[in-house]
Amino acid sequence: MYFAGIDLGSTMTKVVIIGEDEQVCASIIRHTGAEHRRLANKVMEEALEQAGLPIDEISYLIATGYGRINVPFADRQVTELTCHARGVASFFPGVSLAIDIGGQDAKGLKVRDGKLIDFVMSDKCAAGTGRFLEVLSATLGLRLEDLGDISLKSRNRVSISSTCTIFARQEVVNHLSDGVPLEDIVAGLHSAIASRVASMVRRLKVEPDVVFTGGVAKNIGVVKALEENLGCQVLIPEEPLLSGAIGAALLGKELTLKALAEGEPIQRGKRRLEEATFFK
Amino acid sequence: MVAETNQGLTRVREIYQDGPRRVKELQAQGNKIFGYLCIYPVLEFLTALDLVPYRIFGDMREPITRADNFMPTVVCPFLRSCLDLGLKGRYEFLDGIVTTHICDVGASLHSSWDYAVRTPFAYHIDTPHTVHETSREHHRGLLDGFKKALESYTGKEITPERLREAIKVHNRQRALMRELYDLRKLDPPLVSGGETIQVAKALMSLPVEEGNKLLEEVISEVREREDGPQKKSARLLVWGSILDDTALTEMIEDLDANIVMDDTCVGSRAYFSDVELTDDPIDGLAHHYLVDIKCPRTFRAGDFNATTKDYMADLESRFSYLADYARDWKVDGVILESVRYCDTHGYEVPQLRDYFNSIGLPSIYLEHDYTEGALAPLRTRAQGFLEIIG
Repeated sequence: MYFAGIDLGSTMTKVVIIGEDEQVCASIIRHTGAEHRRLANKVMEEALEQAGLPIDEISYLIATGYGRINVPFADRQVTELTCHARGVASFFPGVSLAIDIGGQDAKGLKVRDGKLIDFVMSDKCAAGTGRFLEVLSATLGLRLEDLGDISLKSRNRVSISSTCTIFARQEVVNHLSDGVPLEDIVAGLHSAIASRVASMVRRLKVEPDVVFTGGVAKNIGVVKALEENLGCQVLIPEEPLLSGAIGAALLGKELTLKALAEGEPIQRGKRRLEEATFFK
Repeated sequence: MVAETNQGLTRVREIYQDGPRRVKELQAQGNKIFGYLCIYPVLEFLTALDLVPYRIFGDMREPITRADNFMPTVVCPFLRSCLDLGLKGRYEFLDGIVTTHICDVGASLHSSWDYAVRTPFAYHIDTPHTVHETSREHHRGLLDGFKKALESYTGKEITPERLREAIKVHNRQRALMRELYDLRKLDPPLVSGGETIQVAKALMSLPVEEGNKLLEEVISEVREREDGPQKKSARLLVWGSILDDTALTEMIEDLDANIVMDDTCVGSRAYFSDVELTDDPIDGLAHHYLVDIKCPRTFRAGDFNATTKDYMADLESRFSYLADYARDWKVDGVILESVRYCDTHGYEVPQLRDYFNSIGLPSIYLEHDYTEGALAPLRTRAQGFLEIIG
């Protein structure tokens, strides 16, 4: 038996296929893009090809993420809250607080015994999300993936007082015209995003293990700033983008085994590998 | 077949979608239409004088533009929307408007409305915010003033007999609405949360007797219906600020949950207690509209004279009716919702959550912007909550 999780995030689309032994047979990460949401089937086909499986071999397929309703071939939709919690617990069984900073939102997940018990989310604006860094790296003329290493060189971090992306951009431009070194500005931005997210997740009580996932977890500068802010070590999975998709696949396995054990039929969707249309 | 068996609900939906159509017909026949805001204006006075009460609502699908000249953007978007619609002429047909001191923003809406919308008759009742004996006396005095103003506008007298008749007709509506709510105790419920909002909104857009007839029709057909809500995994109670559009409710009911009970003002708050027929009927009205309606705009401490304060006892006396709702409607979880910037509801939330925690009922707080477009992130929160309690 094989199980698939597809996580259609606002920025990145992730697919993971696992076997019964929970070993990963395929994992794909692609940009979601404007039209990509309607082409989740293409990403799925790519993953199936990588695993060398036809779609009928997949026992259960769960869609998650903001675009989860746009996956016509999924058997079930589960929120990224539950899927992230499940995925993170599979890497770090002792997780108590999971922080996920994605392209357009930040989440804090309280986990107990591998299960989600409470959560906080911020998705009203770009502050405290990957988008904040995306916009400001463009202002600074730097590549997004270089920000982390650059910030580590900082000796005198500036203070960015606004977490609003628009106002922070003005502050950055001011600092640039004052001749502040780039690394000090970048470190300031990391500190701003970390303090905003830290104050949000404190509502859930910060206890170890704290795990950090999502695209922004790939930025070592934000990781350090978050550790400084929370006053504890922050664990990062090997591939922080995949925890949602892996969690979805694992949940699929659990649901399938539960149904089999209880002798109940497995509720499958229509499995049409086609793009989502906006007109039913 | 469905159209034939659901005539009442079809009519409800028509009025929900085009509220003013019926009252404009009545107006063409010589009736006066009186707009009112919130559920605190004493509607029995209007009915006793054959004035048609018509509740003022906002429109979350209409961007707020003109109201920004009068109100700051960081206040209740529902009230801003109401004023905006007034300024855009949506309520031009009204012969009168009655407001109460819902909150400071509601009071400022009255001044702006009077200044810029200029409905011919405008009256503001400065309803107190506590239930002390002195507040009740004061409220009674305010109602005497309101009565006089209406009498001088119409040239007719509100006699105790007419008022008693009006109270009976309104109490009949309250009883019928509770009967409809009883049909939500079943699993699956016979009426959805979205349909209940449509019914309540239709009733608030019709003369009360006409509303009663419609409600009787709805109840009898709902009892027989086979196209009602499906059975779902969770039964929810929704508490919070005004929901005058079904968008949020329907978004939640599209998930694996039925909303079976509410504590909102286009819902149970307006109907769950009767007006007592006192010797002087105004006494009963003064009591009902200040004490019986349970909206957080009125503060009700457990015991004003207590010298030591017991937090849990205070919560119990303020919120135990919600535990009763949860028990009687077999509720699995509570959604606390509020429009952004509603301090009145927002300040109640931490204590409510403490209370629900103390009785072991899971709850989640959703804040919304009173716009239809911003609902998608709330869907993730609501669905996540259902996954936790499921």
